[in-house]
Amino acid sequence: MWQERQAALLRDEIEALLSLLPDMGSFYDLVKEPLTQDRRGLATEIAHGRPWPLLPLIVCEAISGHCEHALPAAAALQLLMAAGDVFDDIEDADSSESLPARYGSAVATSVATTLLALAERAITRLKARGVEDNIIVRVMDTVNSYYTTACAGQHLDLCLAPRITVSEDVYLRVAGMKSASQVECACHIGALLATASKELIDIFGRFGHNLGMAAQITNDIQGVTRGSDITKHKITLPVIYALAQTDGEVRNQLEDTFGKQAGPVPNPTSIRDLLFRTGAIHYATIKMEFYKQRALDILSEAEGAGASVERLKLFLE
Amino acid sequence: MKSEALQELVKTIFDDEKTRRQFMSNPDSVLAQFTLTEQEKKVVLNTHAKLGLVTADSPQLEATLDPTANWHAPIP
Repeated sequence: MWQERQAALLRDEIEALLSLLPDMGSFYDLVKEPLTQDRRGLATEIAHGRPWPLLPLIVCEAISGHCEHALPAAAALQLLMAAGDVFDDIEDADSSESLPARYGSAVATSVATTLLALAERAITRLKARGVEDNIIVRVMDTVNSYYTTACAGQHLDLCLAPRITVSEDVYLRVAGMKSASQVECACHIGALLATASKELIDIFGRFGHNLGMAAQITNDIQGVTRGSDITKHKITLPVIYALAQTDGEVRNQLEDTFGKQAGPVPNPTSIRDLLFRTGAIHYATIKMEFYKQRALDILSEAEGAGASVERLKLFLE
Repeated sequence: MKSEALQELVKTIFDDEKTRRQFMSNPDSVLAQFTLTEQEKKVVLNTHAKLGLVTADSPQLEATLDPTANWHAPIP
């Protein structure tokens, strides 16, 4: 199947990049580890379900009919995301399995920084794939621009974390900067490596933004249904809706849970039920479907502009 | 995209039993009372057709929230 073929090519490209590391067994293993996590470029099952690591390749192929020359860029994005995962683990400090928990923050910071440096090296490998210098510079600038936005979004999120008065507008802005920008980047880069058409590059950037927003809201809903965001006191879209639309005892319960940043939540199941009962999950589901529908509409636009979008629908089914 | 009309619609459906019953039997008649965009109306109706009112966890909701729907692995 095409997913398996692309996944194998991406794995080979990432392995080739890892082989550039100095010959120190343990260091190689540490740098490789974040790339083997679920939904990252060296995970065994990336060809199944929604193949996120392949997104830039799928966009590139949708426009130009081929994508192998884009492999170094897809690898670069995997390295950047893996670096982000490690930095997140350092910031959150909430998992005993994470790299910083097992080896300490200093080692984890060194691993994440190495992944960033390898991502830069990955982009320069586009040259060996026949990509012109001016396009390589644009890819580098585009990737760094999106990831600067993602870092700014992360900063804004950290600044807002103690507040329960976050508005939906602010929340959506942060989600767009912090999360959706990474999916937008993957689509933009895939398009940039396939065409000079500003129109198509813009269309796929917009597709990526809406796909990323839908994915983030999906994550928010799952955070409530599985309870993980409740026990972490995390304020996400359903919580923002519920805080804005309720009063009295219900609002007090929400404030008690989400107004603090730490400590146990006495009854997470009752908070989960409350978020269902107030319509907060229904509202978030409509918002998720809204972004999905927009992404689908944009794919129709891309089809009209000559792209072959069937494989991209995998991400919206 | 923040929509106060959409928030108001969901709040009314979940707070008011009579509106909820009306929405279940004739969603268009309830939607007509709110200033939603055409795209919002379409999504509200599609969500209703697919999931009904999302008042509890259900296999349909779980199916919509495909485990690979996000590019980040879920936090256990």
